[in-house]
Formats: sequence, C-alpha cells, structure tokens
Amino acid sequence: MPSNPMSRWQHHTSAIASGFFGDWLESRRNPLAVSLALLHSGTELDLAHPEIDNASGTLCISIHGLMELETVWQLPNTHGESYGSMLSSSVQGGVTDLVLRYNTGRPIYRNGQDLSEMLEKLVSSWPVPVTRLILLGHSMGGLVIRGACHAGSTAGHRWLGLLSDCVYIGAPHDGSWLAKGAHSMAGMLNERPRDYLKVIGEVIDLRSEGIRNLSRGEFLEQGGDEPPLLPDTRHYVICGLLARSRKHPVNAWFGDALVHEGSAQGQEKSGWQLAGVATFPGVDHLRLAHHPDVANQLQEWLV
Amino acid sequence: MSAQNNQHGWWLGMADMLTQGVGHGVMKIERVHLAIADETFGILERVPVTQPWSRVVRVSHHGISRLCYRSVSLAATGAGLAMGSDPKTFRPAKCTGV
Repeated sequence: MPSNPMSRWQHHTSAIASGFFGDWLESRRNPLAVSLALLHSGTELDLAHPEIDNASGTLCISIHGLMELETVWQLPNTHGESYGSMLSSSVQGGVTDLVLRYNTGRPIYRNGQDLSEMLEKLVSSWPVPVTRLILLGHSMGGLVIRGACHAGSTAGHRWLGLLSDCVYIGAPHDGSWLAKGAHSMAGMLNERPRDYLKVIGEVIDLRSEGIRNLSRGEFLEQGGDEPPLLPDTRHYVICGLLARSRKHPVNAWFGDALVHEGSAQGQEKSGWQLAGVATFPGVDHLRLAHHPDVANQLQEWLV
Repeated sequence: MSAQNNQHGWWLGMADMLTQGVGHGVMKIERVHLAIADETFGILERVPVTQPWSRVVRVSHHGISRLCYRSVSLAATGAGLAMGSDPKTFRPAKCTGV
C-alpha cells in the first residue's frame, strides 16, 4: 500500500464520490466521505487554537459547490490567488482568506448547521477581534450560507452580528434545471410497469440528499416557509450565462450550464432586497468560481 | 493520523464503495436482463411453433442467469469483507491540502 500523502486525483475522487453518495458514505463511516474543514493556505485550521501569521479582523470564507474542492477558487494564471486573497490587498487592515471543505452529498441544512457552529467557534478563538465576516458561496455553497444563517439565527450565534456581506455565486436559489430533471426522470421511470425502466429510475434515485436539495434550492431541515435574507447584511448575486450574447436561446435553456439566471437571482423568492446583481455572459457555472471579471466585481462591491 | 493511515483508509474506502457498487449493480443488471428477456420469451410463448419449448428455455435461462449474477454479487461482497472494508473499522481521514 502506498505511504505517500494523498494525491490531487484522490482528493478529487473523494469530492466526486461525496457529491454523488456523500450521505451514504458518511453513514458507513467511509474515509472517502470528505470531512468538514476550514483551511488557510491549504492547511486545516484548529478551530480552538487557529495559528495564523498576520491574522486580520476581516475574514473572507469561500464555500465551494457540489463535488468541488477548495481548489475551485484558484484564479488561473496566478500563484494560487483567489477572490478572498485578492480582497486582502484592497481592504483596509487586510482580509484573511479561508476556505471551507465539506461533504457536498450531505443534506444542505446539516452542512449549514455545521458551518454555523464552526463560525461561532472561529470568531471566539480568532487571535484578533473579528470585525467583519464575508461569506462567498459558489453554487451549493450559496445555499449552505443560507442554511448557516438560518441555523445561526435559531441558535442565537454571535457571528451573525459580524456578518457584513454574503455573495451567492451561481447559487440555485430556485433549483437547478438538471437536478429538477433528474427528479422528474426518476419519478417518471419509477412509475413505468417495465422493470428495466424502473431500474434506471432507481439508479437515478441513488443520488445524495445534497443533490436532491438542489432540485428546489432547499436549505431547511423540513419543508416550510423559507426565512428571509438577513436584514442587517448586504446580499449580492452573481450569475453566469453560457453564451456571450444575452439573448442567445442557449442561455434561456441552460443558464450557466447548471443554473438559470432567474434561479441564481432568486426571482421566485419574495421580499429579497439585493445590494448588487451582476451577470457575466460567456462565463459558465464552474468558471464563475475563478474568473477575473468576477474578481473585479467583488472588489467593487466589497472594498 | 499519518499519511500512511490516510492512504490505507482511502483505499479501503474505495474498495468498500466499489465492492458495494458491484454487489448492488449486478443485481440491478440481473433485473434489467431478465425483464428484457421476458419480453422476448413472451413473444415466443405466443407463437405456436416455439410455445412448447419457450417456457422450459425461459426457466433454465433465468435460473442460469440468476446463478451467475448472484455469484458475482456474492463474490464482490466477499471481496469487500476480505479486504477489510468494514464500516466498523473505518476512521475519518485527516484533512490535508490538495
């Protein structure tokens, strides 16, 4: 058995397996299930005693999406720069760039609860007083942010008072067309009398709770009324579109490949007051997490 | 947890997922195979020339197929246990940077 540290492909395999079957892997205590961790410069933080050089009072926490890892935030043609690290040079007092790694196959509300607990511990043990908290969520990560805000409000967590900005990047607030399609397809096939069609439906139904949550943008434990956006926090939305021309039909069909523009903007939600909305035609779902134009937009909003 | 333990655990986890996947996947394939075969045998049973033999052939075909698929499923489950990919022995892997 090899004894070298886990390689990049192994981490990515774990992330993909966790996305598809993360809840099942977790129930079996399978080591492929990605464990929740907050990282700084590629190293896991000890939440009770975070050891960081030049810790600043402003924290920017980036939360990846389904089947992704923290590497999704790395901007191309840079030395490991990300949206968080780029803010550091512009925000007065600097910004400490942190990234979350989590099992994306778990129900979103559970990841939200764990993130909320983690942030509560972090702000308590941070080497300097935390004055500002920025959360960036890509895709499912945006829903995890909403889940964490809800869990934190319910638990009366202190970190919510420090939360200044939430940025939802390609987050499927009203669901993803692909997850909706999988849900409909599985339901339709399961009702067929032919066993070979039912089997296909059953295979689609093997998908994780995390993927199921994406069909309607769910981040609560039980169905019910969604809480509104936190009133004392600025909320921003970033959307991508596959084609460069906004009116291209492919944008209406597929949005950024996985999420429609309307869903990313939460158009079915009532009472949303967004501090900023930006759409980037020609930038697909994955590239939204590491695109220079998005980085510039974030600088404009958050600095 | 050391890098060696992380690697060991990761490969055990992979073995668990694959053997479970093969074990369950083969049973699904068996159902697809038999359901499609039933369509053909159903037609043969409606044709007077093939009717007398089709039932016998169907029973033997299904019997042999089930034996083969379940042997593979059992072998996969056994291989998983033999490799020690038992959930009771799993420990969460320590997080390291990519």
